[in-house]
Amino acid sequence: MTDIDDTVHDILSKVLMVEPDEITDDLRRKDFEPWDSMAHLMIVSEIENQLEIFFEDEEVVDIWTVGDIKKILKQKIASQSSNEP
Amino acid sequence: MKEILESVRQDPSYLNLWSAYKKIQDLDLQVPEDDVNAVRLAVIGSTTLEPLAACLDVKTRLEGFHVETFVGGFNTYRQEVLDKGSDLYKIRPDVVVLSIDAWSILDKMFLANFVRMNVKERLAVQKELVENVLSVTSNLESNTSALILVNNFVIPVFTPFGIVDNKQKIGLKRFFEGANEILAKKLENNSRVFLVDLDAIAASFGKSRITNWNTWYRGSIPFGDDFTPILADEYIRYILAMKGRAKKCIVLDLDNTLWGGVIGEDGIEGIKLGNTAPGIEYVEFQRSLLSLYNRGIILAVCSKNNPDDAFKVFREHPSQVLKEEHFAAMRINWQNKAANMTELAQEINIGLDSMVFLDDNPIERAQVAQAHPEVLVVDMPKNPRLYREMIENLNVFDVLSLTSEDMARGEMYVGKRKRTELEQSTTSIEDFLRTLELKVRINEVTDFDTPRVVQLIGKTNQFNLTTRRYTDAEVRELRKSKDAAVYSMAVHDKFGDEGVVGVAIVRKNDGDWWIDSFLMSCRVIGRSVETAFLAKIVADARKANATRIIGEYIPTKKNPPASDLYERHGFGMPTTSGDNVTTWVLDLEEKTIDVPEWIELTEE
Repeated sequence: MTDIDDTVHDILSKVLMVEPDEITDDLRRKDFEPWDSMAHLMIVSEIENQLEIFFEDEEVVDIWTVGDIKKILKQKIASQSSNEP
Repeated sequence: MKEILESVRQDPSYLNLWSAYKKIQDLDLQVPEDDVNAVRLAVIGSTTLEPLAACLDVKTRLEGFHVETFVGGFNTYRQEVLDKGSDLYKIRPDVVVLSIDAWSILDKMFLANFVRMNVKERLAVQKELVENVLSVTSNLESNTSALILVNNFVIPVFTPFGIVDNKQKIGLKRFFEGANEILAKKLENNSRVFLVDLDAIAASFGKSRITNWNTWYRGSIPFGDDFTPILADEYIRYILAMKGRAKKCIVLDLDNTLWGGVIGEDGIEGIKLGNTAPGIEYVEFQRSLLSLYNRGIILAVCSKNNPDDAFKVFREHPSQVLKEEHFAAMRINWQNKAANMTELAQEINIGLDSMVFLDDNPIERAQVAQAHPEVLVVDMPKNPRLYREMIENLNVFDVLSLTSEDMARGEMYVGKRKRTELEQSTTSIEDFLRTLELKVRINEVTDFDTPRVVQLIGKTNQFNLTTRRYTDAEVRELRKSKDAAVYSMAVHDKFGDEGVVGVAIVRKNDGDWWIDSFLMSCRVIGRSVETAFLAKIVADARKANATRIIGEYIPTKKNPPASDLYERHGFGMPTTSGDNVTTWVLDLEEKTIDVPEWIELTEE
């Protein structure tokens, strides 16, 4: 697990009230009651603040699972480092 | 529950506060039966306020309260306030936070059109904005007995007029400043509705950073994650004041706290204390302390020193601001400070939990904190140039109303010291009381005295028979009721005027007068004025043809001084219920209570 995954799991466990080791990549928003729209907003903004990145509105809507979050983050961080001179 | 709160206490970040709030919502908590340690909160307004409510909820719990929180829907505050059956009213809130964003009331094109509006139009819009808020607060006032905290408007930083905004008759900033001023003016004499200076809190934090624009546009969350807990702290000040948790006394160390250096070593010329650097930081710190003293905060000294060295500074140093007359009590000796604190609390006659301890030495602080966890031991900055900022940001002395009794408390303690000296020089307690020339005024509470009476009900802990706390609204209801009477007692003696220091609430039930509340400021304990107070109630009860007076004693950690009141005054037939509440009866056909001969009852 990377540092980024750790950060994401920490945020998810606090907002969704689950133990960090109970979080799996296929944990689904639709099937998990505590992951309501307010929780989603919280997760997204905390990730933005802590990792200093920014989600597009489309990306926020397209996050359906924990795996989706990690996938988007990986893409973002890859493009960030390739942009560096 | 303890575990959840302990983890937030260690790191009260926004995320942790939110997480704790959600976890606590899932617990099935027992609602405590007494209201003393419970707070029902409602947070309503024009935006998404759940995060603010979450921070306020958890922070209130961190102060030791049981909390129930209602969060209003997005921009549904008008319906919630108008509909008497709404969930807002179902929780019977003790505190309502009303957070209305000006821009939610103003026309969508307001900013664009403002530039072209004439003065008359601007004033009309301003009036409408203010009236919108005031109509909500007045509805809340009539439908609840809650304390209502309403945010003022944040004066915007941007204005289309740019640097000439204040060259306009009413520029954009003056438009909002004016609105805030009208709100303040209209609420100035209101004892239930408090205008929270959101604009100043936002400015202190940095207005450009109060909103996270991502969460604002995604979810209409008005305040960002750094600012939300800070705003919650501001509301906590009102809650602590309402619950009578204000600190009353600052206990000060001397060396390296009131002045720089050590008087015993550096001498009066050597300590840092003066109107230029180095030393001005101590003078300014003392001036801040003096401002608190003038507002009614008690000052005391606790220092390891030779008393003569310390007194020399008080009496002879030209830059010393605080003098002996400002201190209600002093412990300048080589005893350990924890023991000195116990003595100071006894001498001043206040609880240790009303005391703040300021000392530059971390070891002394640790010792006092360990011996007396109820004392607020402030983590003093190492840098004395930050002392003043520390005391000015402490925010633990808040009360909901400042009475003339509060303001003069310092002088009253000088009187108290002189009284003690007299007591020590007279041989019998009766002689002592006789020489005091006590005058007592007891009457049903007037409008003028009501704020002071509410304050006494809220904060009196020691000489309080039942410790029932009533809000301003409840007291006003009781005053109106035919079946109840609210009495106040003012005390005066040759050393000074104590003002209103006693309250009694009587509920009348046919021939029985039931003393619901009986309390007296600790300042007047030992002057037998409680006897005069009971005598007046007895006399009134007889006039109303009552046959019995019933008194109750509900023990708390702090009120043993009041435990024998009824027994001392001839009440009999004590019965103790399961929860330790003792009920006493005075049969008026057999017994009576007279005003002591050394007390003169006066009329207004």
